[in-house]
Parts: sequence; structure tokens; C-alpha cells
Amino acid sequence: MIFFGRIGNVLRCRQAALVALLLAFPLLAPADGPTVNVQLDVSKASPRTVEDATRNRILLDYRFAWTSLSQALDANTADPLQGPFTGSAKNWLLETVKQQTKSGLSTHYSDQNHKVDAVFYAPEGDMIELHDTAGYRMQVLDRGKLVYDDRIVQRYIVLMTPGADRWVVRQLQAVDRF
Amino acid sequence: MKLLLISAFAFVFLALVAVCGAQEIRVPATVSAGVETTISTSGSGEGTLYLLGPGVASKNQISLGQEVRLRADDLKHSGEYLVVVCSDSCRSAKFQVNSVQPARVVFLVHPSRVPVGQPDAVSGVAVPFDEYGNLVVAPLTVNFRASSAKETLLQRSARTQGGVSWFRAASGKAAGPVQVDASLDALTARRVVQQVASEPCNLRIKGQRTAKGIIVETEPVKDCSGNLVSDGTIVTFSATGPGERSTIDAPIKGGVAQARIIAPEPVVVSVASGVAMGNELHIGAKP
Repeated sequence: MIFFGRIGNVLRCRQAALVALLLAFPLLAPADGPTVNVQLDVSKASPRTVEDATRNRILLDYRFAWTSLSQALDANTADPLQGPFTGSAKNWLLETVKQQTKSGLSTHYSDQNHKVDAVFYAPEGDMIELHDTAGYRMQVLDRGKLVYDDRIVQRYIVLMTPGADRWVVRQLQAVDRF
Repeated sequence: MKLLLISAFAFVFLALVAVCGAQEIRVPATVSAGVETTISTSGSGEGTLYLLGPGVASKNQISLGQEVRLRADDLKHSGEYLVVVCSDSCRSAKFQVNSVQPARVVFLVHPSRVPVGQPDAVSGVAVPFDEYGNLVVAPLTVNFRASSAKETLLQRSARTQGGVSWFRAASGKAAGPVQVDASLDALTARRVVQQVASEPCNLRIKGQRTAKGIIVETEPVKDCSGNLVSDGTIVTFSATGPGERSTIDAPIKGGVAQARIIAPEPVVVSVASGVAMGNELHIGAKP
């Protein structure tokens, strides 16, 4: 009886610890993920109208793409690029990671704000073109030493296509004007 | 005292000018993709040059005050490039690399099979890229043409906007392959759309009683444009006799559908496919 009572106490302690851990999880979780804010306006998209569900999905996937891009270029790892990018965009991002690794460089993006307009949505819904006016802080480090730090506003033309389970970025091209 | 302050400010100002001037970077405003370029720095001594852009992140030692050549291979991707030069301190400059003339047209056409006579049934999107895979953003004229052996369905020019142009068109009247082209100067991308017959339009049947039952058969089944309806389309025969009704579904094969009905009593045979109804056939009782 005493034996089972002790087990019960141990279990209760473990449950309490688990609850405490779950409650504390938001505080324990690493808070170093890049902040990426995306506003997506689809009112000017043509010739096809962008449905609400599609808009929400594209917004999520585009934000995820920038989060992944930031992680990849910050940590010089190709893994985050595998899902959200394809084609030309994926190729040059992978090449950038490779060259950064070779040169001992890393790029840190923070405080990202993307004001995105959908300007073209294909008649069959198999491609969307976005114009992104992105504002962010960009820092370049050479083996941990800061060599560049600036707040940037950059325009991007983005082509996204639907993949198996998400919209993927196929083209990400900085331009001087739309 | 006043003179001392002015002298101090002048000294700081001159020192700043000297430091900043030592690493002044001059870059071209724009560069064409895949073309080498040069940048220049002022000052003297050794420095480190960083070049960051799409697909490039390089670091090289340079002699300040001399021109630095940037390789064509490092400038393949269109976008913004950042040059940072560091010696005592770091200075930066940016330049834009633009796409060059189109070398490839990505052409998406939908659908691959389309019934004839449908409005806005065929659409296409053309996206020009240069030899390095950069989207060509500058406006260009794309010529769209869709034609079959019997007719030209579409001939239209459209300017690209943001690197994209598109069309939408009705399908033609004749079944068969339609060649859809998107041309940009000497470049042509070609796709083929198969036009198929639409729904059956007029159904007519004939039939007679034989030793094995009533054999009924349609005349060649056509759509309203006169195209033979595709094999496999289902035709439903119905036989209504005294107190009994039976139906048989038969696929079209070689343009006609056929069925055998077992009914010794006199029957009325009718036919339907989709929304089209055919004639009725009165067959007498088995002798």
C-alpha cells in the first residue's frame, strides 16, 4: 500500500512538473525567430479574383518563405529552403548559402515588414505575381564581426506557384521599381 | 576660447573627411546580368571587399585606390547587389543588375482537352526569362496564335506587365488538335490543345427484331457542330412495354452505340445521352 502511495506521489509530482513545463513553454521557447510581418492586398489582382482561402494560404506561405530565407542565410543552412522555394529562387538562395559558408559570412534579417500587392493571378489559378515592398534591417557579419548594418527598403517581384501542399516561391527578384 | 572651439570642430571635420574619403566606393548605377563590371575605391593601403547579392557572397582582399573587377559569373542573377569595403572602417554601396534579352518563354496553357464551342475555355500565360533565368521585367510584346488545320482561333498581341502576358479565348468548332503559340521576336513556345466534340446534339436510332432480340443502334452521334462524339460516351436506351420498362446503358464505339433488348411484347424504344433526347422506335410483338 505504501509502495503504491509512493508511486502515486511520484506520478502526481511528474504531472505537476509537466503542467509547469507546459505553462512555462512560451517563456522557455527560443525567441530568436525572425519577426516577419506581411500585409497582402489582393484587390488589384486580375484576371482571376483571389478567393479568401487562397489569399490566406498565400500570405502564410509567403511569410514562411521569408522566415525560412532569414534562417537559412543567418545560420548558413540549406534545410529551411527545401520546402518554400523552388526553381530559380531556390537555386540562387542555395548558392548564396554555399558562398556565405565558404567566405565565413552570414546575413541577419530582422524587423521585416512586407507590404505585398497581388497584381496578376493566372486565369487557371496556377501562378500569382506579387509586388513586395519590403522593409527590414540587414546585418552582414564576417565570422561574427559586423561589417554592414542598415535599414533597407527593397522592392521584389515574386512569382509563386501552387505546390503539393503549399504555395512556393519560384522567382524572387529585387527590382529598382515596379 | 571661441577660436579653440572652431579649431577643434575643423579638426574633427577634416579628420572625418579624410577617413571617409579613404574608402569612397564608386559603383555603376546598373549592370546587365552576366556582364563583368568594375568598381573603384579611393584611398590607399589594403582593404577587404565584400560582394553580396543573389547567388553571391564573396570576400576578397583589395588594394584601395585601384579598380576592382567583378566577374560576370558573380553577376548572373538580376537584383540588388551590395558592395562593402572595410579597412579601418567599412563603407558600402549598392547597384542593380538587370535582366537581359529573353532567351526562353515559359508558356502555360489550359486545359489540355477542351470541348468545342465553349466561351473563354482556353487560356495561356507567357513569362519571358533571360538566359540566366531572370524574369524579364521590361515590357515586351508577345504574339499569341491558336490555329487548327481548319481555322485560326486566335491571333492577338499582348504587352507583358511585370513580366507576364496572357490571353483567354473561346474554343473552336472543329474537333482535333489546336496549336497554340506564344512568340517573342525569334522565340516561340508551342503547346497543343486537343479540341473534342461537345455534348451529343441530335440522336436518331434505328432497330429491328431479330431471332436474338431487338437490336437497336444509333446513327453516328454528333455534337451541334457536327463532330463525332467521343467513344465511350454513354447512350441510354429505354424500352417501355405493357407493364414493364427497362434501360440499357451503352458506350459509343466508332461513333455509334448499340444495344440488344429482350422483349417478346411490343415495345417503344427511346434514346437519350446527356441532355439530348432522340426519336422513339415502335417495335411489334415477337411473331
